[in-house]
Amino acid sequence: MDLELTINGRQQTLDAEPADSLLDVLRDNGYTGAKRGCDTGDCGYCTVIVDDDPVQSCVTPAKKADGATVETIESLGEQEDLHPVQAAFVDNSALQCGFCIPGMIMNTTAALRENPDPTEAEAREAIEPVLCRCTGHKKPVEAVLDAADRIDSAEELAHDGGHAAAELDDKDGESQ
Amino acid sequence: MSEKANRSGPDGGPVESESGEPDVDTGERHPMEWNEPAGNNVAPEDRSFITEPVEKYDARKIVTGEAKYTSDYRREFPDLLETAVLRSDVAHAHVTEIDTSGAEEMDGVHAVLTPDSEIVPDTVYTSAGQGYPEPTPWDLRVLRKKVRMVGDPIVAVAAEDKRTAERAVRKISVEYDELEPVLDFREAMDPEAPQIHEAAAIENKQPGADYEINRQSSFDGEIGDVESAFDSSNSVLETEWETPYQSHCVPEPHTTIAKRDEDDRYHLISSTQVPYHTRRQLSHLFDIPIRDIRIEKPRIGAGFGSKQAMVIEPITLALTMATDRPVIYETTRKEQFHAMRSRHPMQITMKTAVDDSGNLEAMEMDVLSNTGAYGPHGMTVAGNVGTKPLPIYPRVENVRFAGDIVHTNLPIAAAQRGYGAPQGHFAVESHMDEVARDQDLDPIEFRKQNHVQEGDLDEIAAILAGDEAHKRKIRSCGMEECIDRGREAIGYDDLEQPEEEHLHRGIGLALVAQGSGVAGAELGAAHIKMNEDGSFILQVGGVDTGTGTDTMVSQIASEVLGCDPEDIVVYSSDTDISPFDYGAYASSTTYISGQSVKKAAEDAKESLLGWGAKMLDAEPETLTVQDGNVHDTESGESVSLEDIGYEAHYGEDDRAQVMGEASHSTDTSPPPFGAQYVDVTVNENTGEYEINQLVFAADLGVAINPPLAEGQIEGGQSMSLELATGAGYEFTDEGQPKTLSYKQYGMPRSTDHPPMETILVETHEPSGPFGAKSVAELPTNGVPPALSNAIKDATGVRLTTLPITAEKVKAALESRD
Repeated sequence: MDLELTINGRQQTLDAEPADSLLDVLRDNGYTGAKRGCDTGDCGYCTVIVDDDPVQSCVTPAKKADGATVETIESLGEQEDLHPVQAAFVDNSALQCGFCIPGMIMNTTAALRENPDPTEAEAREAIEPVLCRCTGHKKPVEAVLDAADRIDSAEELAHDGGHAAAELDDKDGESQ
Repeated sequence: MSEKANRSGPDGGPVESESGEPDVDTGERHPMEWNEPAGNNVAPEDRSFITEPVEKYDARKIVTGEAKYTSDYRREFPDLLETAVLRSDVAHAHVTEIDTSGAEEMDGVHAVLTPDSEIVPDTVYTSAGQGYPEPTPWDLRVLRKKVRMVGDPIVAVAAEDKRTAERAVRKISVEYDELEPVLDFREAMDPEAPQIHEAAAIENKQPGADYEINRQSSFDGEIGDVESAFDSSNSVLETEWETPYQSHCVPEPHTTIAKRDEDDRYHLISSTQVPYHTRRQLSHLFDIPIRDIRIEKPRIGAGFGSKQAMVIEPITLALTMATDRPVIYETTRKEQFHAMRSRHPMQITMKTAVDDSGNLEAMEMDVLSNTGAYGPHGMTVAGNVGTKPLPIYPRVENVRFAGDIVHTNLPIAAAQRGYGAPQGHFAVESHMDEVARDQDLDPIEFRKQNHVQEGDLDEIAAILAGDEAHKRKIRSCGMEECIDRGREAIGYDDLEQPEEEHLHRGIGLALVAQGSGVAGAELGAAHIKMNEDGSFILQVGGVDTGTGTDTMVSQIASEVLGCDPEDIVVYSSDTDISPFDYGAYASSTTYISGQSVKKAAEDAKESLLGWGAKMLDAEPETLTVQDGNVHDTESGESVSLEDIGYEAHYGEDDRAQVMGEASHSTDTSPPPFGAQYVDVTVNENTGEYEINQLVFAADLGVAINPPLAEGQIEGGQSMSLELATGAGYEFTDEGQPKTLSYKQYGMPRSTDHPPMETILVETHEPSGPFGAKSVAELPTNGVPPALSNAIKDATGVRLTTLPITAEKVKAALESRD
């Protein structure tokens, strides 16, 4: 069957089997950032943003996503120009094996759009759907809080005509 | 590596004596006298890249989703076939008939392999990824006609796509002649219990094996005379402890791609911690020369020991051989829970004698370990139950440690982070808390009186080996500082009780230790070469399982070579390209593989300084390398690594690439140490408890990358927290697993986690690269005993079985009252 999807801003018609999940379709079409960890909607590694909500794509039937707008990890920054959420995970050493990280980052990105200034408890809730086995979740929670600060600073930057740029540059300097 | 470097013993291990015989330490010569190589002990102010928070080598590709794990290679193989496996749905049976006709008739099905298929080897092997010959019986077959657990593989199917493969499996019918299963490991050695394995069918049997009583192996080691010590002591205490199955919950399910390449060799991309062991074991199993097998390890979604095992490579390779097409086998989470590997459930007895001054006089430990249907890692894991925690008390003169490893018709237990030490620490450190309280001593003061110190000769680590080589001198020990700083951080001395009368707060301590590699059974190798622009390519066998060891080796190499870590390209691991390594297990990668990298970099540095001397017209002895330049301390002149690189490759009269290579192996395995504290509040009415904080103070020697080391400690504690509070599988009376998903298992989420504080206590281990010991397994050992001790502190009741549930606490409180 044909599936109409807008993936990372690009409208596409993709071929899918009736039993396919959204994760199957994404991975078959090269969006392999979303990972398959359980196929039961428990681990959160396959999280993508569908019409502004984080969803576990392994338990989302592809046909149910027909016509939807999908954002995957591939839509965020590039290695030399990271999105603030990605940069926060790098700079806080909030990743180890990395298999859960696309899910962590997509959940964080969606949560910070809803609530740009989370408390520690809200940061924990933001990544609650993702079962990270490596980190004990401590550094990821710190990364979520740091990402919120970075996005805040970036917005100030946008509103003040770039005067906060020096401050942001200093922040980048900490990444080593 | 140069002859000179070899003779000066840069590993801090035994050096060659004049006669050329290895001068193995026997305790006569103080091993602290071993020469530490010059430049190994770098003062904090003189460090360039070690102990710096260098960005994780693979961090950027991970956060952009570009990091490639095995299943992400699918699209590179357009003719890739997918795998599904029919697994036993009974716990113990002979397979009497397999009808595959329905599957074979299906369109898109390319191979249906049964135990009788010609291409499927009938050879026995072990999945344990260990050195050769493995200290593990060869008791597995690729596909099985006698099934010993629910989940044993019987038929393997390769098809055009996963759904076709799964449909084909559903069309296969299997008939069983069912046998009575053994489901309680405490009854496995009962002479009346059904026998699970035939001894005659097993090769490479281990000491103490007696398959008529389902015993995979057994051991018994003694130092001094434990019986006499107990007889003459006024204060003998015996306790018993039990631990459950634990799943690795490894994020990336085991995945393997196999193909035959154009050179008629077999090339596997596989999520493995042990590429070289897997290559050797596949060669043995399929009778293919080692040279015709290549194992490539891409990024892997962690291991925790689950991938220190050749679990699915044989099935994938057999399907490739049968179809002459590339084949992928990506396991499911359900398979992960019942058909892959787990932590051994155990029953442990501890007995000690203490003198009137609170000194430990004797320790006796007895372990019964359930290895499940097969025995990979059975004996060695059980050995670590004693040889990791008991050396926390190395001055005890009478020690006995014995164990039996038994089979049941339950899931296979094998290597899991900690490798027996978590079970052992639960018994030892909860027991020591009981001893202290029995003696009216503060548990911390009792530990301080007895715990390990720098300079101790530890014979307990060698209690089973029974040889001199495995004894070790403790050359670095920060236990005292770990205890003190942890005590301060957790607020041990000013604990406030809740106002509510039914709430009681307490703090528990557990001391922990591990090793750094397997003493006398490790080999790491590395090769480094310089490019024209002064950058380097480092090929290392040591396997990064996600922990950050690629970053760690780049820091070690750059510290030696005076270049930026970013100028070092790290390549691990591919058996065609990277030098040999035993693999990522036993907390060996920093200490063993890292030391091989340091030695290889030093070898390259010698050649680099030779070029520097030539170009600066100086003596190599006056040269140093720093900030990408070779400096002459006499003349003050410098030449850049880039200039040296171009001259070395394209010079007019003399040309040679700057390269270095080295192997590292040693008989020593220095323990990292730690203090785990748990602060808990218990509700006396319900038995429910809340962990207020976890504090872990760790002596890792020199932490090469502190944030990555902290990440290891926090993640290790998380697994330890789960073992303490939630692990365990459930089965029906017939041995059917009931825990088959994350949901049923209940792995801790971010919102379940108490706050954690991590303290790094720096010591210097002379035998480690720049003073480093290990970190990965140490923090998996402490939460169960520290929690049991904290609940005792809060309420006076002792919890002796894991997981510690509210129901168990309530029952204990009720029997107290």
